[in-house]
Amino acid sequence: MARITLERLGHAYNRRDGTPNYALHPLDLVWEDGGTYALLGPSGCGKSTMLNIVSGLLTPSEGRVLIDGHDMTGTSVAQRNIAQVFQFPVVYPSKTVYENLAFPLRCRNMGNREVDRRVNEIAELLNLDTILQRPARKLTPDAKQLISLGRGLVRDDVAVILMDEPLTVIDPQLKFHLRRKLKDISARHGHTLVYVTHDQNEAMTLAEQVIVMDNGRIAQVGTPQELFENPTHSHVGYFIGSPSMNFLPVSAKNGKLNVAGQTVASGNVDGGDADNLVLGIRPEFVDIVPINTPMSLRANLSEIQDLGTYQIVTARLGNGPLLRVKAKSFNGVVGQEMALHLAPEWMRIFSDGKRVNAQVEQ
Amino acid sequence: MARVYPILKVTVIVLWSAFVIAPFLWALTTSFKTANGVTGGPTYIPFVDYEPSAAAWQGLFGGGGGSIDIAGPFASSMVVTLSASIVSLVLGTLAAYGLSRFSYKAGPIGNGDLTFFFVSQRIMPPVVLAIPFFLMLGWLGLLDTIAGLVIVYVALLLPIAVWVMVDFFNTIPRELDETAMIDGCTPFETFWRVILPNSVPGLVVAGIFCIIFGWNDFFFAFTLTFTQTQLLPVAIVSLNSSVTPWWSLSASALISVAPLIVIAFFVERYLDKGSIGGRK
Repeated sequence: MARITLERLGHAYNRRDGTPNYALHPLDLVWEDGGTYALLGPSGCGKSTMLNIVSGLLTPSEGRVLIDGHDMTGTSVAQRNIAQVFQFPVVYPSKTVYENLAFPLRCRNMGNREVDRRVNEIAELLNLDTILQRPARKLTPDAKQLISLGRGLVRDDVAVILMDEPLTVIDPQLKFHLRRKLKDISARHGHTLVYVTHDQNEAMTLAEQVIVMDNGRIAQVGTPQELFENPTHSHVGYFIGSPSMNFLPVSAKNGKLNVAGQTVASGNVDGGDADNLVLGIRPEFVDIVPINTPMSLRANLSEIQDLGTYQIVTARLGNGPLLRVKAKSFNGVVGQEMALHLAPEWMRIFSDGKRVNAQVEQ
Repeated sequence: MARVYPILKVTVIVLWSAFVIAPFLWALTTSFKTANGVTGGPTYIPFVDYEPSAAAWQGLFGGGGGSIDIAGPFASSMVVTLSASIVSLVLGTLAAYGLSRFSYKAGPIGNGDLTFFFVSQRIMPPVVLAIPFFLMLGWLGLLDTIAGLVIVYVALLLPIAVWVMVDFFNTIPRELDETAMIDGCTPFETFWRVILPNSVPGLVVAGIFCIIFGWNDFFFAFTLTFTQTQLLPVAIVSLNSSVTPWWSLSASALISVAPLIVIAFFVERYLDKGSIGGRK
């Protein structure tokens, strides 16, 4: 087990004209010993690049990787004692399940008896004990993925377990089961776990800390709750939550916040009056209220999506932006007029994509 | 309509088989004929059409008053082909793994150029190589020796091995190497313990190509040997005289094809195995 520190770590490919093209902008990050972390972000945001640099498959163009305070940036993959599980399950096709699980130990020249003990222990943990003698290449993708995981768990010198979207190719039913198993194992063994995903539910259920990435930069690090309630970046509001946060152009003037010409709250924004701000509010915190309620927004119903346990009601403000509301049971005709109330305590104001402080009240 | 395809398929297969097998049958019957049996018009069925005789076969092994023994050249060919194929396969596989997995850069020259350099050896017409090979073997004192031929054949077969194996290694997902290294292997252990055990189909194909090209080569076997060393293709051609001995030529041709047929039977099962990609 170990603490991983990324120090001014960045990776750039040189463009034709010699200027650096960053896949990962220089950043500082610490993964504490025994913590579980999720790297969350859309494809191509630098998550896998970061993981491959930590495991040593990729050499960073700048910065350092420290494992327990030792600089490991230049060392080989084998010396780092890292377990990595890839998106597509990798097993050694020519070996049996048993030999697959035993392979990391064989690479360390461990005695047969100790190998046997550990392989059986891990096989039991992962429910692979009944198929140990089967050729690994004939298994289903989820069994293969369990083997990939098992190869990491079988070693006791693992500094950190890195998982790069390990559940992508797994059936939804089994996904749920595996996710629980992963959480179970990481809790029981106290491994430092870093989990890359673009699925927010996966990130939220598995990790104590979620690192949201965007375009090669870290947008925000926080607990699932922090990310949901207080996104510091409009990208986080957009990426976390289902449906994602509503964003409305807002202007702050003389102590009032105006959206599409209607006042929604009174309040002041740090930095003074401005009319190019964005108001973010989660669909959970918008209510449908009777028309003419003070401080409500006039809108026209544009769609009702019934998702069984709740509805997503979409309304258009004049000719302008759309606003999504999470509602229980709302009936209406498309085009009808309605009023929406935005809870002032949940309004978040952004400027150029970054959160700005604001005092907002009814 | 649905029945047309199977019928067409069987018809084509039958016709093609006949086309391929007929020359062998022809050679087989001819090899058991005497001069009279060959010149008296086409005959096919032994004992009815013609009187079979084993004279041609006996003659090839020094019996029946024949002046040659084909066993010696056969053994020499075996030694040269197998040695050269094994050396090419070992060196070629190592080179191919490097070219497939590591990046080399020397100025503007990269991996693709290196691979092409190997393959380009086969683009040159053999005649161009004959004189340099002759001179170099002369300097080394290896003209007309088995060792000299092995060296030359390695030069000819190595490009084939590299070419086939680079392509094959490129079909093996890189994640397999990466996983092995994460599990604690050095790059060489990765190659030896993980990649090689999964490369049997590629090795078989490369090996077959090496053996076929090595076994069938006539040109270098002819230009680089004189009296001490003789390979099978040269020995067969030297059977020819003012009266073409069709019977001995047929028998010797069958002998020279036999090893390849035996190999084909043994390795056939490896040939239909596709890539081992784990992404299905």
